[in-house]
Amino acid sequence: MPFFDVKQKIEELKSALNNSVDFSSRYFEKNGQEIGMVFLKSITDQALFSEALYLPLQTYEKPLDMEILRNDIIKGTDVKIIDDNEMVQEILDGKIVFFTNFSDEILAIDFLKFPTRVPSEPPTSPVIQGPREGFVEDLQTNITLLRRRIKSPDFTIETLRVGSVTQTKVCVGYIKGISNKKVVRKIIKRLKEIEVDGILDSYNIVSFLQDKPNSLFRQIGNSEKPDVVVSKLLEGKACIIVDGSPIVLTIPFIFLEDIQNSNDYYTNHHYSSFVRVIRLFGLMISLIAPGFYLALQIYHYNILPLNFLITIADTTQGLPFTPFLEILFIFLLFQILYEVSLRLPSYLGLATSVVGALILGDTGVKAGLISPPGVIIVALSKIALYTIPEEASQVTVLQLLFIIFGGSLGLVGIISGLVYLANYLNTIDSYGTPYLAPYSPRIQNDLQDAIFSKPLVQIKTRPKSFNPEKEKIK
Amino acid sequence: MKKLIDYIKRFPMIVILIIILLFFTPLAVFSPGENRNRGVVTAIGLDFVDNEYEVSLLTFIPTANQTYKQKNSVISGKGKSVVDAISKASVAMGRDVGLAHAKTTVVSESMLAEDVAESLSLLAHIASLPENTVFVCTNTSAKEMLQNSQNLVDELGLQLEQIISYNANELYVTDTSLEAFYKGYYSFLKSSLIGYIPLVDSEDTNTDSSVSSSQNTDTSQQEVQGDSSPQGGAQSSQSKKKILNEGEAVLLKSGKMVEKLSTYQLSGINLLNPKDLNQLIKINDVDLNGSIMDLTYRLKDKKVLTTTKFENGYPVFYAKLILSVELVETEGADENTKSNTEYSEITPEIANKIEEQINKKYVTAVNLLRKNGTDVIGVTSKFFRNNRKDYKKFIENHDTPDNFIKYVTFKLTTVVQPD
Amino acid sequence: MKNTQISLRQCGIIIAMCIFANKILLMPSLMFENSKSDSIFVLIFLFALDFIALPIFLRLKKHYPTERLYDILKDKIGVFVTKLIFILLIVFFFFKCLLVFSVTYVYFKNQIYHDEFIFLAFISFLPVISHAAIVGIRAFSRTMELFFFFVIAGFIVCLCISLFTPISMPYFFTTTAKDFFTSTYNHIFSFGDFAFLFLVIDRIKISDGEEKSIYKYAFFSMLLVLILYILFFAKYQITAFMHNNALADMLVFSVQFNAIGRLDIIAMITIMLMTVFQMEIFSFAFCECFQSIFPLLNRAYAIVFFDILFCVLYYVFVGKYENVVSSVVSWLPVLGMIVSYLLPILFWIISYQKRRGKIEKTD
Repeated sequence: MPFFDVKQKIEELKSALNNSVDFSSRYFEKNGQEIGMVFLKSITDQALFSEALYLPLQTYEKPLDMEILRNDIIKGTDVKIIDDNEMVQEILDGKIVFFTNFSDEILAIDFLKFPTRVPSEPPTSPVIQGPREGFVEDLQTNITLLRRRIKSPDFTIETLRVGSVTQTKVCVGYIKGISNKKVVRKIIKRLKEIEVDGILDSYNIVSFLQDKPNSLFRQIGNSEKPDVVVSKLLEGKACIIVDGSPIVLTIPFIFLEDIQNSNDYYTNHHYSSFVRVIRLFGLMISLIAPGFYLALQIYHYNILPLNFLITIADTTQGLPFTPFLEILFIFLLFQILYEVSLRLPSYLGLATSVVGALILGDTGVKAGLISPPGVIIVALSKIALYTIPEEASQVTVLQLLFIIFGGSLGLVGIISGLVYLANYLNTIDSYGTPYLAPYSPRIQNDLQDAIFSKPLVQIKTRPKSFNPEKEKIK
Repeated sequence: MKKLIDYIKRFPMIVILIIILLFFTPLAVFSPGENRNRGVVTAIGLDFVDNEYEVSLLTFIPTANQTYKQKNSVISGKGKSVVDAISKASVAMGRDVGLAHAKTTVVSESMLAEDVAESLSLLAHIASLPENTVFVCTNTSAKEMLQNSQNLVDELGLQLEQIISYNANELYVTDTSLEAFYKGYYSFLKSSLIGYIPLVDSEDTNTDSSVSSSQNTDTSQQEVQGDSSPQGGAQSSQSKKKILNEGEAVLLKSGKMVEKLSTYQLSGINLLNPKDLNQLIKINDVDLNGSIMDLTYRLKDKKVLTTTKFENGYPVFYAKLILSVELVETEGADENTKSNTEYSEITPEIANKIEEQINKKYVTAVNLLRKNGTDVIGVTSKFFRNNRKDYKKFIENHDTPDNFIKYVTFKLTTVVQPD
Repeated sequence: MKNTQISLRQCGIIIAMCIFANKILLMPSLMFENSKSDSIFVLIFLFALDFIALPIFLRLKKHYPTERLYDILKDKIGVFVTKLIFILLIVFFFFKCLLVFSVTYVYFKNQIYHDEFIFLAFISFLPVISHAAIVGIRAFSRTMELFFFFVIAGFIVCLCISLFTPISMPYFFTTTAKDFFTSTYNHIFSFGDFAFLFLVIDRIKISDGEEKSIYKYAFFSMLLVLILYILFFAKYQITAFMHNNALADMLVFSVQFNAIGRLDIIAMITIMLMTVFQMEIFSFAFCECFQSIFPLLNRAYAIVFFDILFCVLYYVFVGKYENVVSSVVSWLPVLGMIVSYLLPILFWIISYQKRRGKIEKTD
């Protein structure tokens, strides 16, 4: 009694895969021993297949058994024994499924091949000095990039499949003994609970992982750079790698991470402290500058020093818009220009910037439609936004809110808005880590690398905010 | 309903935002802004003419241009009270009056005939006139003063308060601000000292505006001339009068003017001000190695020691001035002796003459203060601090605290230290 | 329970905010009218009285580390009296909040908002403090921790800048003992801020040996207020009664500063932040008491009740600047005395009584 009717099995698999055009099978018979091999040629390395499996099989003279097959014939690639019901999935994963009539073992042999990108410097986070490698879309390469940096047996990667249709591989990586177990368990639990058709990018699972999915603020960190992810793993966080996405997520996340940048760790710590203060300052300016300007103009002309007042009063005199409409108009103009320049190819981008900046801005001022201070304030806030590019999307929304607060309620509105914002952010606990840590609440230990940082030699403990299993760095 | 409450609970921020958007944003969207609703007043003048108050406002008028020059005009209103006048000025201006940027308050002598504090505190309360404005008095009318300063501001960007360059070291106690005036006025001494800036007729009446403007810049730079005070002059092309700051001041008691102080008298009062080194002492006919010369000395350092005592039931105020001086000018010397540094030596004769000068000045000043019962140098408070029992007894038997200075005997010792 | 606990540092910051409440704007000039420069002694006297509550609090906390005040009192003196005390506390905190708002409102109206500002003020402040009361003490105490540096820095900058202009010793001992006690009585309601601590006694996490830092915060904030008073009286002397916004007026004294521009924006922002935080604390206290009395009602009802009461009473009871003053001096001092001094004495007695085993919790 043969274990598999090989021909029939091939037909079965073919229909299970809906007669797909890239379906491919090999039938092989020698001395009454039947062998079937099924794979999808679109995602399989066929050259390697013939060289490493098909040719050795043909030239092998003695009777075959599974032991020999696994150890002698199949060379240089992954082999794994699978169950009958796993066959389709394995084929879809780019494996060659191998079955015979003389054994009940089914082998899945990895010959996966698809076009991938070479790790290159990610455009979103360039560095001046420091590693330039970035993650790519291929899961395996990404794990390689991480593994290359952490040569520790404690670096653990657990794999799950998410998405009922796409069956995307999602890996959770963490360092045993450093990352908090509860956090890892919570991540895995949440990943398992995801019910969705497909995961196309790591951003698709973000809202499933967030404590407050409705929030404007992101509660999951992300990075395109392996060195950044590794440093976060070493702090006691966990990372999530999604197949097909060059963005690796890190959990837990605090607001301060956006103010820090990988560049900071590759320069002098005094300078990096300074730059972080500048970033924070830039964030504040971009957040409240338009609203503040509006509040001054509409409600508190008397706070302005006389010279400023003269300039503003002279330039806004005779404008057809009220201050509120003017700022709103310039704000929208900038936002439209931004969107346009982002979407257009680079050679057209130049043209739009000329039209936008020179013609609209300059002529608008000259024609007396908008005032120079208004343009400066909005432009300043828009430029300052990109001191922290990661926060750009949130802050843009907040800018508009603060324009409304400042314009409608004045300075008190802005301050109340800020306090409200802080109160709200303080209610967010991203996996047990306060969102505004280590400043609110103050965690003395973590201040060694917060806005101001100490040199590495003086940092003896891991950040307490992330509740690592081991606090001391050895 | 339950859904709505749930929604509010889940997104309170959005609900608040909607409320703001509904009720406040429309108002704000169509509000032209305070800076277009209000006339920004940079200086305010008060006059009392024909039994009516006249408030003049040096107002900044925004003009749509790209030069960012300050364009001003003087707008005034008359009324039975200051508040009445200011509301009339507001009507004339066509905007609300915003006094938050006022930096100078000018009153005319006619205003100081009556208690000026009432009118001023009305202004402070009703139009929130800041207390840290420069507060000065002028001779003719405050309106004219503002009109004269208007051109300076327009053409040179020179603000009125820049011409009026009194500072803490030149006036006794503190600077000539509204707050300083109030401080004196509300204290039990009821006396205060404010700056006096007269408008004088310009000698050179034929110059056209541009020339006179450029002259202004020259003359407004302070020169040390004659006596010890700074002198700044500025001239307007319009009414051809000159704003002349010779460092004079006005003594006020209970908000009324009692005496105009010359610079000489003011510097006498300032003798006891340890910060004031702005004194020039000129001594005549000094015989130095046979040549007779006039020497002018400048104060380099000053120490003031005071003691208060009650002698035979009457207060005596002892003051000791320890001065170190420096020779700055010699007159009447020939070429050889001029460059001779020997003259910097203080001979006993020179010291005596300096002491004489100082004493003379002190006596003039003290007599003035005693005559008017205006204690702007804080003698009474020194007695109050040091000899409280005797002081209280004395006040019970004699007079009100504000007249205490009339009974004080002043004694001065001057020591000129060699350099 | 664990999620609502605050650290000792946050507790200290809350105390500091309470100590600044009501004392740094209008009060110096009001006190000056009663007791001239001797107001400084009034202040020291009242602070000293306040300070006594701190050791009592720590003692009680040691005795009952996790129990709510309501449960402790209910256990010792019965439900009825406890509810009565909590009603007193409700009124106390409510009027404290109202007073903070009124004083700041007057300041802003005079200084930066010239048109009708009351609706703007309500809509600016009430949603924020309502939200804070709902999200609880942990979130807003963290916020205070975040802004505390800026508040203190603003305060100290105000004090430092005021030193650039001439100051002279204020005249002391010019008033009588009667003036002293009148002034003390009139302003007693603005003190007694440690009552808040007793209310949240179960929320504060104190590790062993840490207790002293709470004294530190209280002492330094009191010291700052004291320095403000001394500088204020030294600077303005006789005209102190004219300056109703002490902290802000510290910056606008001289002609020189007028030329620089409006430096008082530092004071403005500091005061705005302080006002929001103080109102948050008091409204939260209000809700806590409210919920203790009516345990079945949701926190949201408490805060809605607070908001409505606030708006209505502001119009009916306070409304005008003069009324703020008169209401402070009329009957609130009695309430202040009861809450600030009688209650701590009661707690002190309780802390000496033996515990009756585990206290049953109502919540």
